[in-house]
Amino acid sequence: MTAQGIFQVLASGLLMGLIYALIAVGLSLIFGLMDVVNFAHGEMLMLAMYAAFGLWAISGIDPVLLMPLVVAAMAIFGALVYLGIVRYAMRAKSNAGMVQIFATFGLAVLIQGLAQFLFSPDYRSINGSFLAGKTVNLLGVFLPAPQVFGGVVSLAAFAGLWLLMTRTDFGKALEATREDQGAVALVGIDRNKIFALGWALGAGLVGLAGAVMAIFYYVHPQVGSGFALVAYVTVALGGFGSVFGALAAGLIVGLVEAATTLVLPSAMKSMGVYVLYLGVVFFRPSGLFGRL
Amino acid sequence: MNRREVLFGGAAALTLMAGARAASAADEVVIGAIYPMSGANAQIGVDARHALETAAEIVNGVHDLDLPTARTAGLPKLGGAKIRLIFADHQGDPQKGRAEAERLITQEKVTAIVGAFHSSVSATVSATCERYALPYVAADSSSPSLHRRGLKFFFRPAAHDEMFSAAMFDFLDEQKKAGKKIETVALFFEDTIFGTDSSNVQRKLAGERGYKVVADVKYRANSPSLTSEVQQLKSADADVVMPSSYTTDALLLVKTMGELGYKPKNMMAQAAGFSEKAVFDAVGDRLEGLVSRASFALDLAAKRKSIAVVNDMFKARAARDLNDNTSRQFNALLVLADAIDRAGSLDGAKIRDALAATDIPGEQTIMPWRAIRFGADGQNELCDPVLIQYLGGKFVTVYPTGVALQAAKWPMNG
Amino acid sequence: MSLTSFLASPPSRFAARHRRQLHLAVPVVAALAALPFALHDVYLLNVLILTLLYAAMAQSWNILGGYCGQISLGHALYFGIGAYATTLLWVNHGITPWGGMVVGAALSAVTALAVGRLCFRLKGHYFSIATIVIAEIGLLIVHNAEFTGGALGVQWPIAGDGWWSLQFGRAKAPYVWVALGLFAATWLVTWVIEDSPWGYWWRAVKDDVQAAESLGVEVFASKMSAAAVSAAFTAVGGGFYAAYVAYIDPESVMTFRFSLLFALPAVLGGIGTLWGPLVGALVLVPLTEITRSYMGGSGSGLDLVIYGGLIMVVALARPEGLLSLLPRRSR
Repeated sequence: MTAQGIFQVLASGLLMGLIYALIAVGLSLIFGLMDVVNFAHGEMLMLAMYAAFGLWAISGIDPVLLMPLVVAAMAIFGALVYLGIVRYAMRAKSNAGMVQIFATFGLAVLIQGLAQFLFSPDYRSINGSFLAGKTVNLLGVFLPAPQVFGGVVSLAAFAGLWLLMTRTDFGKALEATREDQGAVALVGIDRNKIFALGWALGAGLVGLAGAVMAIFYYVHPQVGSGFALVAYVTVALGGFGSVFGALAAGLIVGLVEAATTLVLPSAMKSMGVYVLYLGVVFFRPSGLFGRL
Repeated sequence: MNRREVLFGGAAALTLMAGARAASAADEVVIGAIYPMSGANAQIGVDARHALETAAEIVNGVHDLDLPTARTAGLPKLGGAKIRLIFADHQGDPQKGRAEAERLITQEKVTAIVGAFHSSVSATVSATCERYALPYVAADSSSPSLHRRGLKFFFRPAAHDEMFSAAMFDFLDEQKKAGKKIETVALFFEDTIFGTDSSNVQRKLAGERGYKVVADVKYRANSPSLTSEVQQLKSADADVVMPSSYTTDALLLVKTMGELGYKPKNMMAQAAGFSEKAVFDAVGDRLEGLVSRASFALDLAAKRKSIAVVNDMFKARAARDLNDNTSRQFNALLVLADAIDRAGSLDGAKIRDALAATDIPGEQTIMPWRAIRFGADGQNELCDPVLIQYLGGKFVTVYPTGVALQAAKWPMNG
Repeated sequence: MSLTSFLASPPSRFAARHRRQLHLAVPVVAALAALPFALHDVYLLNVLILTLLYAAMAQSWNILGGYCGQISLGHALYFGIGAYATTLLWVNHGITPWGGMVVGAALSAVTALAVGRLCFRLKGHYFSIATIVIAEIGLLIVHNAEFTGGALGVQWPIAGDGWWSLQFGRAKAPYVWVALGLFAATWLVTWVIEDSPWGYWWRAVKDDVQAAESLGVEVFASKMSAAAVSAAFTAVGGGFYAAYVAYIDPESVMTFRFSLLFALPAVLGGIGTLWGPLVGALVLVPLTEITRSYMGGSGSGLDLVIYGGLIMVVALARPEGLLSLLPRRSR
């Protein structure tokens, strides 16, 4: 492959990495807050993509403009998942970890079935965005406009998240709750409220990822499963609970995945990511930026 | 009885209840259909349901069409018995397919089974049918290994992957003879049975017939991104790109090609995703000139009335035209109905013999074939595949010359 | 139960309760073994076979995940190793599936030791994700290797029924007995281990690693032995499954979903208990099969809604597992 081809592969990997990071950060955030791994994360992504598709199909408005609506809807959904399901899973006296894994796994299966029931198993695509089909040609390296837009949104979301976590009372409450759940109750912070808001934030972020992806990806009841596995590995690689780790790990996963295709058959491109993960946790058992 | 026994007893009662189902009435012929009804390929199962129900409607009612058992109500030699279909979901899992086959045979008392899209599931379902001496008609599973296991109850009216790929290379040879420049091909295939079978034959044929394979890209099915894969295709820039992909990856492939500014000189697809409505709805404008192999030629409806009528009936149910898969499913049930009628019996062995003696001329099907006659291995060798080209928003048949309504536009982006 | 209270509880009462479990197990296994004489419906026997297989797999998983507290979500790897060893030795070399299961078990045990060497230093979710990743690497290798048949999978020839080939034509009863035998073996091993030094170590490790270490428990060695035993039995299950279905491909024996489905009955029934895996499988497998068979054909997806919803409800309503519905003394 030519040097240009290699640059192309790496540039695309980088753009994909920003999307991976945006998908993963909600998962990481929720974990960091309350030690819960959400096995329905991929299905939340799928729901967000259907929300974007559905709103576009009904209104005909450009999906870029519909993004806030999708994010809001997913945030509400996230809070409801916490209040209706996860809250109870956390009450388990023993093996709470397994209970919440399988409660959210059951939820994932349920959402998939519901999506098939409501939207049919057909494959949908949005082809109404002004971004669609546009490509920036940078010295022979092609950067598709929807993915570049996705990358910018992802970076903006991380910047916003950073500001939220460091500059607002809500962010400080989140931080305090993840540091010490018992102590925050003493200073009058309602733990349940913080958790529900944490879920709303996490689901809102995956909603943002879904809204962006719906512009250039197909929508289907199973579409989330493939991304979910990438998201778990990304979160673990960056360190559970670390927002910055999710960004770094997302970029690394995107790049390594793309670079692997230069040396291994494409069908094995995840191999590079997997080996890298094992290599990293062998030396840093809590990921790149995780605390244990 | 302590509480554990209650629990055990409850579970047993639940399973028994589910087992107690009414036996089928005598004036109907029950046929099982095993398809993926949930999971990544659920749409295939949903479409198959519409296709098979359309076929059953034609068998059961009176229709003035030149198709087997169409003009009579039901199956005349069985006193006008009607066909009743029972659908089962295999979720793409060979084990579930086999379990469902056993259930259909022993509980629902089906007379024969049609299936199963996935070749892996067809492998276990056909083996089960063999055990129970019951005919299995593989409507749309195209792995060549299926008819090479010496099964007596296995029948496949449609082509397998070797026949499909041979037709594609015959077409290339013909274009080459006509002075077109075709020297290199690029293979692009998913890492499944379908992709592997398809690419193995294509690689072999390319070697035999003197085409250079300049890219040989095997990718993970349902991959989040195909950028690196498309970059390999772009770098190789073969004269013909030959994808073997299902709907999801076909969508992503075409979108990614556009994003990377790659316009392949020609694309010749192993149907699958490239015969699905979802793909052409989303990216049809970029597929102008695409050639795909097919079992079915909708434009033949101009010559053969039954095709248009059946397509309308199907469209009323499924809101889409018949395609490569659904036409084969429709046809498979008619072949089966014809054999059951000639057997005049619901006995598996007799229907098997009737199937083996099938002789339906091409004009009496909706398919562009010479005839349906099974070899000793249960494979129909007279089902010549056609090549269709996507021109001006619809498919036209361009090969073989005897069936084609117009000449191929080649190169497609010329 | 904490470590100290556990060690302090009188051994005699534990021993008596422990023995009582065996008295319960004998009639349960005998009743299950007699079931094929009463039940002739092929479909229900198939559900029974899968139930027993999943009970055995969950019991194997339970040894590492329940008793030792190491939540592996990569057991599909060992299942796949067993399935492929058994299939390739039989189809290519004519070695009886029984031999293949032994080879598969040995290979899996060695693999589990290697995985353990790499991963047991990881804690909590990092360990679970690492096991997923390793299983995915295994899947990718099997998927792309020549000797495994790759994506094409391997079909068992239809010929030579009998115990030697583990092929029984239409008959289901022999499969019930083999699956039951496997379940009984995993149960018995669990039972023996519960009352052995290993068992004490594992429970100690699970309850409190640091306290266990201070009491001289070989944490790492006990985790390694649990992993090897658990993996070996899972591989035998894989070999059985291959013989039963008579066709395997990477997607049908090695995907991530299997890893979850092996853990699920143990969790729903009661994690780290003797009877939890069987109770969980008795509820879960018939539910899966029946919703799919009698609702799945419509293609509406409602069967998945019911299946997923029930998993959720049971997990939430009975976090300790269904077994906790029973009074404590009869457990």
